[in-house]
Amino acid sequence: MSAESPPGQDWGRGHGAAEVAEPGFKRADFPPQLLLHWPRKLTNRELREAGLERHRLEEAQYISSWPRRGLRVGEGQQPLEFRPVPLPSGEEGEYVLALKQELRGAMRQLPYFIRPAVPKRDVERYSDKYQMSGPIDNAIDWNPDWRRLPRELKIRVRKLQKERITILLPKRPPKTTEDKEETIQKLETLEKKEEEVTSEEDEEKEEEEEKEEEEEEEYDEEEHEEETDYIMSYFDNGEDFGGDSDDNMDEAIY
Amino acid sequence: MDEIALRLPSTMTQAEIKLCSLLLQEHFGEIVEKIGVHLIRTGSQPLRVIAHDTGTSLDQVKKALCVLIQHNLVSYQVHKRGVVEYEAQCSRVLRMLRYPRYIYTTKTLYSDTGELIVEELLLNGKLTMSAVVKKVADRLTETMEDGKTMDYAEVSNTFVRLADTHFVQRCPSVPTTENSDPGPPPPAPTLVINEKDMYLVPKLSLIGKGKRRRSSDEDAAGEPKAKRPKHTTDNKEPIPDDGIYWQANLDRFHQHFRDQAIVSAVANRMDQTSSEIVRTMLRMSEITTSSSAPFTQPLSSNEIFRSLPVGYNISKQVLDQYLTLLADDPLEFVGKSGDSGGGMYVINLHKALASLATATLESVVQERFGSRCARIFRLVLQKKHLEQKQVEDFAMIPAKEAKDMLYKMLSENFMSLQEIPKTPDHAPSRTFYLYTVNILSAARMLLHRCYKSIANLIERRQFETKENKRLLEKSQRVEAIIASMQATGAEEAQLQEIEEMITAPERQQLETLKRNVNKLDASEIQVDETIFLLESYH
Repeated sequence: MSAESPPGQDWGRGHGAAEVAEPGFKRADFPPQLLLHWPRKLTNRELREAGLERHRLEEAQYISSWPRRGLRVGEGQQPLEFRPVPLPSGEEGEYVLALKQELRGAMRQLPYFIRPAVPKRDVERYSDKYQMSGPIDNAIDWNPDWRRLPRELKIRVRKLQKERITILLPKRPPKTTEDKEETIQKLETLEKKEEEVTSEEDEEKEEEEEKEEEEEEEYDEEEHEEETDYIMSYFDNGEDFGGDSDDNMDEAIY
Repeated sequence: MDEIALRLPSTMTQAEIKLCSLLLQEHFGEIVEKIGVHLIRTGSQPLRVIAHDTGTSLDQVKKALCVLIQHNLVSYQVHKRGVVEYEAQCSRVLRMLRYPRYIYTTKTLYSDTGELIVEELLLNGKLTMSAVVKKVADRLTETMEDGKTMDYAEVSNTFVRLADTHFVQRCPSVPTTENSDPGPPPPAPTLVINEKDMYLVPKLSLIGKGKRRRSSDEDAAGEPKAKRPKHTTDNKEPIPDDGIYWQANLDRFHQHFRDQAIVSAVANRMDQTSSEIVRTMLRMSEITTSSSAPFTQPLSSNEIFRSLPVGYNISKQVLDQYLTLLADDPLEFVGKSGDSGGGMYVINLHKALASLATATLESVVQERFGSRCARIFRLVLQKKHLEQKQVEDFAMIPAKEAKDMLYKMLSENFMSLQEIPKTPDHAPSRTFYLYTVNILSAARMLLHRCYKSIANLIERRQFETKENKRLLEKSQRVEAIIASMQATGAEEAQLQEIEEMITAPERQQLETLKRNVNKLDASEIQVDETIFLLESYH
């Protein structure tokens, strides 16, 4: 709006901008996307987005979910002149229908259905350690025949080898310092040395193991086993043997 | 040429791309959908460009491409300098709508065993024969009574029959190199297949029986399994048909659907016997005629007589009479191409498909605009070009109504207007305006509408499901609780209590939802049948 006031009228400076009387809620109450002014006809896209927006607001309880009047066939904007022909029913129709719905469900369960990675939550939760979050992001659940595919599509899983080993080393010393809270320094350092030796040995063992098992992409189980004091299955790979010293019986060893 | 790598713009319409997007998302998830739609839109692209343009991580793109290639939706090609480009087959993506129909057809022809074979092949894209046989045997065993198992041999037999009738075919495979190639291995294998080998079943002696998945077995196997990595046992056994993959042959199914449509059209128009004769002729030409041929190979009346199904006891003269009737019919499904051998007859496939497409158009006009409009439509079809006045006269419909209907059909592109100027200046008062129906373009328009319809149906179904998500989850939870309680043995009263967790209005809501979703699904299937007819016509 122009800031000039018509000549002869003493409206003062402040009334330059048009202030439409808001019906009672302040604009600030609403999230910024909500359109209160409808200056022109809305496009389909805007309508659709407003629909989604409304859904979000309903869920967030900003507005109450008004019951939508059930629109039946022919009751909308354009009345239907001719009603649609009934759909085929009967054994064949029923079977194909059931089959279609079953296929839809089945395909969601197959490994070909790729779910986007669950976004990392801001705070690391304790339960995260125990949750099997499916294949590690880089791996595929199924084994394609790599001979038939371009080589560039093969996801290298070797990375994990190095990752795992680096995880081990820092893990071990802190663990033992926990165990050995206030005890004799010598014992501590001795243990540390033992740790390093055994963890080095373990490193080598695992490198060999992993070279053999490079094709396998299930590191979940073993990785979790390392990181927890509770063994997930009864699999005992001997790593804990050198780790926890027998002097400290804080936890039972299985 | 390869250096420049011309990227032709995609020839797919927005409606088709939208439908592909919905199908991919529903069956493979958002990541595969993003990559697939991008490839459909932009044509052929290499890996890094895809990752860059879609803003997805390289690993996700790789995973998605693996899935798409496995399901024959994307193919790759090696260009110069070792660049591999990926291309999507949009029409193949749309075939996913038809999966239930393929599976059901196999069921009618080869019973449950065949049905499951084709189902496994469609769900997994491609599989080796041994893998299919094992999976299907296991699945069939699950459904059998306790103590009974399905033998591998029976499944193999059905598989061989499917291969013999070309319903399943071999995928192109990695060529066995003679190892005289000294250079580094190529970035991607070039897959080849010999025409002769396409339906050749490898000589396997698959011996075994289907295994039932027993819960007790799982517990026992659970612990030792953890000690051993999973795949070692599979790797140790040599797979006899390693590298030989099979896929469902969709073209063969389409040929079957086309034959079905023609036979039922003849049955509707004439009688059962004529349709049986036509069916026999089509069956005789199954392997010899390619699916895009305009007509089948000529068949002599004697041959047809010999090939009639065993139950049909019509005499040679009666058969000849029927054939003459069929050949004389204005629809021209059957044509006579010669007189040797008692009369040589062909089936005019193109004409038959054109008639079917036209019938579809007529039916749509009738259901959408009314029977009077349909009468005008059929009239203009028959007479090819008509002026407005002539339409009123021939159809015996008052001028105002006729004009209204003509304009309505014109605006919806079922009809088109042909201008014929009388004078060089194209003055409207001195120009003939003729109404005409261009079947090809009307069919294309209707096909486009069908794609939009299915996209709408799918979106509506997803919306309905999403609206009631909370209720659906609750009902699933309750069902799971009831099932587990029944398994551990619970009293009626307890089960009753749990069932009451879902209130009566909620039950009503669930019923309505189920009814709606069923209706939407059934509509999708129906529209896909129309799409098939219209697509075959091109």
